[in-house]
Amino acid sequence: MHATIQKPIGEIVKHIKSGEKVFVVGCNNCAWKCYSGGDDETKMMAKRLTDRGIEVTGYTAPGPKGMSLCKLDHTRKVLMEEHTDEVKKADSFLILGCGQGVHTVIDATDGGMVHPGCDTVFGGETVSDTHIEEYCSLCGDCIIEFTGGLCPITLCAKQLLNGPCGGAENGHCEVDEERPCGWILIYERLKKLGRLELLDPYQPAKKNSKWSRPRTLEVSPTEATFCSIGGKVTVSNQD
Amino acid sequence: MKLTTLFDKGEFVITGEVGPIKGAIHRDKSIEPTCAIEALQLHQHVHAVNVTDNQSAVMRLGSLAASVRLKTNGIEPVYQLTCRDRNRLALQSDLLTAYSLGIDNVLLLTGDHIQLGDHKEAKPVFDLDSVQLIDMAKGLKRGYDISGSRIENYLDMAFGAVVNPNSDPIELQIMKMRKKIDAGAQFFQTQAVYDVKIFEKFIKKVERFNCPIQVGIVVLKTPQMGRFMNKNISGIHVPDEWIDEIGSVGKEDYKKKAAEMAGRFIKKIKSMVQGVHIMPLGWTDIVPDILEHAQIKPANNKR
Repeated sequence: MHATIQKPIGEIVKHIKSGEKVFVVGCNNCAWKCYSGGDDETKMMAKRLTDRGIEVTGYTAPGPKGMSLCKLDHTRKVLMEEHTDEVKKADSFLILGCGQGVHTVIDATDGGMVHPGCDTVFGGETVSDTHIEEYCSLCGDCIIEFTGGLCPITLCAKQLLNGPCGGAENGHCEVDEERPCGWILIYERLKKLGRLELLDPYQPAKKNSKWSRPRTLEVSPTEATFCSIGGKVTVSNQD
Repeated sequence: MKLTTLFDKGEFVITGEVGPIKGAIHRDKSIEPTCAIEALQLHQHVHAVNVTDNQSAVMRLGSLAASVRLKTNGIEPVYQLTCRDRNRLALQSDLLTAYSLGIDNVLLLTGDHIQLGDHKEAKPVFDLDSVQLIDMAKGLKRGYDISGSRIENYLDMAFGAVVNPNSDPIELQIMKMRKKIDAGAQFFQTQAVYDVKIFEKFIKKVERFNCPIQVGIVVLKTPQMGRFMNKNISGIHVPDEWIDEIGSVGKEDYKKKAAEMAGRFIKKIKSMVQGVHIMPLGWTDIVPDILEHAQIKPANNKR
């Protein structure tokens, strides 16, 4: 899930010009789960803007529940076919969703002006209905085979691949007492699994070219092609 | 002169440490920066002087410029190089530059995190970790860069690394130490140690590596400093006995007491190690006293 948090209303309003007409778009998947852009928050945002003297032409969080705003064909259909007039009247779109959602609205509206209503904070695990944690940095070159599935790029503040720095104290990271040392988490987990030997080999420097943005992925039922400045990689899911 | 030459001869290697100034070196060559003045005070007593690299992530004069200044003054520098502020291109380029400017010893380390310093909104680099940095440096010694391209005029420096004997679980530190040795580390300087028992336990576990170790000593100057380190510096623990003892004398005697305590501690553990790395944090003038209390012959360099 793409974790998002709404920007403070004062900040959102600051970027809307006097007389600018706004259409509010939410996301019924990740932002809904983050209470940052589901049906309720989208409707509420329309009211919060109206209360502040901003003209809102309409609002929607393209549904059903679980539908992602970043699914372009669906978002285009909802905005352009179901909200045609309200969209036409709008000077801009305020998006309550992640950065991918913002771009989806640009595409869906053939280049409409957009305002981000949220900060996209990380890709996370929904540990409970009210708690989301980050375990993956979307680097494009997964190295968690040798760490028991725990990512040092994400869990270690210094992204160290060959073991911890000397700064951990009582199991927490030198950067933040509230945060466990990622390497101690990895060590304890592998110790429990009886697989500490996984840590023995030298891990070479990371291939950062796979982490260069923007990247694309072409998918089909039989194979996928990942494209970064590191080159194209095609993998079959059939052989 | 490479420190490895001294270790090979069986010398007990003594190093000190200075931090570059926050500012530029004066263009008037007759005005030495504070770090060079401190290093000059240490010079008669130590074999070499570490020069820290934006220590604690606080922006300062570059460690290379300060190292070169020491070298010009006839003091052997140990140039510290961290992964925090440079990617692999910059690290290799700086290593080649350091060698080209006459540096013989480099301490290769990860570096404190940006969050501990005075530029908290900077982008932390950490393109490599310290093991990868050492491995890459070894490549430059053998004639190729990290991408596998040949280089001309290979560098030839002694590679030092760090280890923290206080770390828990110690097995993880030792695993990383082993990786550093495999990668090409030739000697170690430890994080500050205050506990003989912890250190002894650590040494027993790493003796098999047969790699020279200098025990790290941070001079405890005041009881306040001990409490501050316990609260704010991860990876270092100052036992209450130390804090109580330095606090048992009047302020005017702190220096004398600090030298006695550090010296006494070194005396207890010197047989376990191949050298000592003293971090006097500005109190460079007490280093001779420390060595005397430790009953260690000063390096006695000639200028």
